[in-house]
Amino acid sequence: MAARRQFLNDPETLVAQALEGFERSNSDIVRWNREPSFVVRADDDQRPRVAIVSGGGSGHEPLHTGFVGRGMLDAAVPGGIFASPSMIQVKAATDAVDRGLGVVHVVKNYTGDVINFGLARDLAIDEGLAVETVIVDDDLATDGSGDGPGRRGTAAVIAVEKICGAAAEAGADLARVVALGQQVAAGSRSLAIALTACTHPGAPGPSFELAEGEIEFGVGIHGERGIDRRAFAPARELAEMLVWPVAAALALERGERVIAIVNGLGSTHPLELSLMFTEAADLLDGSGVEVARSLVGSYVTSLDMAGCSITLVRATHELIELWDAPVCTPGLRW
Amino acid sequence: MADALDGDGVRAWVADFVAAFGAARVALDELDRRSGDGDFGTNLLPAVERAGRELAAAPAASVSELFTMLSTAFMHAGGTSGPLFGVWFREFARAAAGPGGLDREALAAAAVNGLAAVQRLGQAGVGHKTMVDAMSPATDALASAAGQSRGLRDDLVDAAVAAREGADATAGLIARRGRASYVGELSRGVPDPGAEAVAMFFEAASRSLAARSAAG
Repeated sequence: MAARRQFLNDPETLVAQALEGFERSNSDIVRWNREPSFVVRADDDQRPRVAIVSGGGSGHEPLHTGFVGRGMLDAAVPGGIFASPSMIQVKAATDAVDRGLGVVHVVKNYTGDVINFGLARDLAIDEGLAVETVIVDDDLATDGSGDGPGRRGTAAVIAVEKICGAAAEAGADLARVVALGQQVAAGSRSLAIALTACTHPGAPGPSFELAEGEIEFGVGIHGERGIDRRAFAPARELAEMLVWPVAAALALERGERVIAIVNGLGSTHPLELSLMFTEAADLLDGSGVEVARSLVGSYVTSLDMAGCSITLVRATHELIELWDAPVCTPGLRW
Repeated sequence: MADALDGDGVRAWVADFVAAFGAARVALDELDRRSGDGDFGTNLLPAVERAGRELAAAPAASVSELFTMLSTAFMHAGGTSGPLFGVWFREFARAAAGPGGLDREALAAAAVNGLAAVQRLGQAGVGHKTMVDAMSPATDALASAAGQSRGLRDDLVDAAVAAREGADATAGLIARRGRASYVGELSRGVPDPGAEAVAMFFEAASRSLAARSAAG
């Protein structure tokens, strides 16, 4: 299979050149600190409040830089393609946004992110800051093996960042913001399938090959293989493959409410994502689970992978209010 | 003359490693692509090259200062292996700060403490198919060699052989840590690039010391 053609000058400069364009096209909302590299709000009112910092490898845009702005993140720290940012970047971003009321690190559960955010947190605490971490580990495909790195963090991170950001904006203290983040993370599960693999910038071919009638089940967001090869099928059957295991893992019961996220992995058309949402919502309706809120679009991508993930977040009245609170970021606003 | 590495020795060691890593970058990416996400060499190369430039530009730095520069360069790399190599090299800097410099005992202590720091941070054990699988046998070799009446160069030759055997043996393992652990059985048959880099680091030591003693 030939690699998809990409807009590219040089893989080495791709992330920096993209960040430059991102800043210039969103200059009313974000500012990019070049060295060390992190993105902060341009219109920061400096009101005392808990600050929210997230980050991770690049190649998942609009995550995380696209979620910097009022009502969501104070800073996002971008690493190289699919590689954690350094502890030096994370520490600098943490220092830049701390207002004396504490900083929450929202970290997707990958060894590199956990290490670099952890080293930065330890250093910041040594210097007198209050820093707490919320680990996001929603990916059901990596559940089960007790002796491993644990479940990966995927699209549930949007809900954690949105709800923590809204709580911080409303004046919640550090402990409360952390507790809400942990509640959302614990109540979220996701599952994804790929229709085609992604191609690293400048790589000669995709990260894996799929035969004509195959899909990759249980993929993460770094182009790696999933946990199973399954037969390609109509959207309804693919939606069932994702929705039922997620609903079962959360032990959702009739009458419960969820925030449902149908997330494109990079190259899947909005029309297809809306179709997948129709199918997912029908399945949930039929089982008596109420889709209280939803988000459909490509928010946590895996470069140019075609496919989608479905995330369900167990919702309470309080979480829905925080989800509904105003947000103004390049990637999400209402 | 005390049997300890001097600044020139460390600079030659690191220069050899920089050259070897640069030459292996594509191969390291390919190992990573077959079991992870294919960026191991590309992500670390800037740190390795930065370390090479900074060490070469610091002719007056002590052995401990040189290893601190190496550590900081890797801390700037991000990713998973960057900070792990960063804390590993930090223990070499600490051990070399003692009165005997980086002598045989200090080198063994550096390896022991470095391995412990990497395992604590990365939560990886022997057999998990990570850099630990090369660091651990090299550490054992240095620790047992330090008690024998030979020399620093022989110790590092032993460490290089042990690290290489450890790295090669990772091909037969299923990854339990790191990105490769998500693909399970698919990771078998491919050596771990982190272990490979550790083997390259000790091989660079053994090679550069041999070259220096041949020249001197």
